[in-house]
Amino acid sequence: MAIHEKTLIDPDRILQHDHLVVDGVDVSGSWNTMISPRTLTDYEPDFEKIIQGYSGGENVHRCWQCGSCTNSCTMYAQNVDFNPRYWIYLIRLGLKSELLKDKDIIWQCVSCNKCTNICPKDVRPEGVMKATAHWLEENGLTPKTLSTHFDEEFTHQCLEYGRIEDTEVMMGFYKRSGQPLVQTWIIEFGKNLARHLPLGQLAKMGLNAVFRPRTKSWGRTGHVLAEYVKAQKEAAHHG
Amino acid sequence: MSAQDTVLIVGAGPAGLSAAATVTSMGKKAVVVEKEDILGGAPIISGYAKLVPSGEWAKDAIGRMVSRVEGDGNVSVHKSSRVTQLDGEAGNFTAHLSNGEKVGAGSIVLATGFTHFDSINKPEWGFGTYEDVLTTTQMEQMVASGKIRCPSDGRVPERVAILLCVGSRDRQIGREWCSKICCTVSTNLAMEIKELSPSTDVFIYYMDIRTFGLYEDKFYWKSQEEFKTKFVKARIAEVTRSPDGRLLVKGEDTLVKRPIVIPMDLVVHAIGMDPNVLNPEIAKIFGIGLEKHGFIDRAEQYTNSQGTTRKGVYVCGAATGPEDIDSSIAQGQSAASRAVADLYGMQKVAV
Repeated sequence: MAIHEKTLIDPDRILQHDHLVVDGVDVSGSWNTMISPRTLTDYEPDFEKIIQGYSGGENVHRCWQCGSCTNSCTMYAQNVDFNPRYWIYLIRLGLKSELLKDKDIIWQCVSCNKCTNICPKDVRPEGVMKATAHWLEENGLTPKTLSTHFDEEFTHQCLEYGRIEDTEVMMGFYKRSGQPLVQTWIIEFGKNLARHLPLGQLAKMGLNAVFRPRTKSWGRTGHVLAEYVKAQKEAAHHG
Repeated sequence: MSAQDTVLIVGAGPAGLSAAATVTSMGKKAVVVEKEDILGGAPIISGYAKLVPSGEWAKDAIGRMVSRVEGDGNVSVHKSSRVTQLDGEAGNFTAHLSNGEKVGAGSIVLATGFTHFDSINKPEWGFGTYEDVLTTTQMEQMVASGKIRCPSDGRVPERVAILLCVGSRDRQIGREWCSKICCTVSTNLAMEIKELSPSTDVFIYYMDIRTFGLYEDKFYWKSQEEFKTKFVKARIAEVTRSPDGRLLVKGEDTLVKRPIVIPMDLVVHAIGMDPNVLNPEIAKIFGIGLEKHGFIDRAEQYTNSQGTTRKGVYVCGAATGPEDIDSSIAQGQSAASRAVADLYGMQKVAV
């Protein structure tokens, strides 16, 4: 049917066609806009368990939708689309596609914990927000955060060398997060170094950059640690 | 047995059995008239499973009430019979029974109970059309049998939907009352289903959840938190069948503000409590009034709690409106003690 008032319809349900032929009849022109049905046709009851596998999400199944979390929410006061009560409901029934519509704002939780303090069922909604944001990120549904990039570089170096090298961590972090390697603060830092010329320190830095030091008898330790971390994560998230 | 020593009790469910035991414990005689051929009332006749809140099987718990009365020399029981005519007045009634006997009694306790709502009256929810649509009483019987299966083909249901307020809170069918116990019964039933069939997910479709008093955490919270019952805020509009044989529940999820059509394997109607279908007849025979929904009316709530609109006739349990078993038992004791006080001529009612 033709849509006279498109603002009443969720934009993602409006199907636009330049040309449309139905049963051999050309209905292009004012008839070429269709609406996909808004009916929910199934639940994904196991989705709740997935979110429960992330730290903070353990109590999500306790929610009875009183709305105390949303009422008390710092972010809801800024943006009425930020609605923890609603997301918890979607998680419980596994209405994933509805949840994903808000994937770009869920991370905005400021962890003020007003919701967690007020929740009569001890759902710990702040934890659920955190768990959901982690799930979104881990599954590539939202871009990695800067802190995740930093964690990954840091962990990588620990496992590889048994120790970290500050300069390498910073450089790796900038590379991973797509930031310029030459930052203004580094230039300032360089200028100051040049002014005082701590020769011994500079020589050490130079040597470390060329001969990457490794913790003594590190051997396969990093590999074993990495396997362990992976197994723990698998167990928690996909139990 | 003189009329002045005897209380006539009509109905032998939890309320009536409790009243009978109370009358004899106070040194008087009780005559129990029951229309069915067994004692115990709805929990026994409809084959309830485990009772709320004790968790005891109905046949054990109510069975004890029955054997206490049957083993009591001061109680005489008339099964498969009804009161067809009542003569006399408070202090000296004569009841004519359908089995031809006459009973003299100084006072009367009505424990005539309720009638389960007949789901046929809500045809849009599929009862009577699809084999896999059941009522809570049928589901109780399935639980008592120990196996959760779809009646249509015997498969283990992946999903069960329990629809609340079937025959309650519905002006369309003239039932404006809340049946009080169905929420608790349903949350309990969901736990029993999960216990017998761990692979089955249970969804409860609700408008409100009214698990009053201590039933809140012992049944509602426990069902949700420990047995993973899912609560969906939606009043179902229609139950139909999909081509693959599963049932489809259609409605509006009021929290997502979206229409839903969700596949289910079993749909259970949480049926409400209607006034006993015989109430118009009972009202006529005993000369008492009914309240606006058709339950037995009470005269005055505070100094004559169990009194009907007729002097010397008392009422208890679900005859007065939807009631749980514990309260029915308490009301049975209450009505019986008033009836016995009548025998002594000791009743004081503020005017």
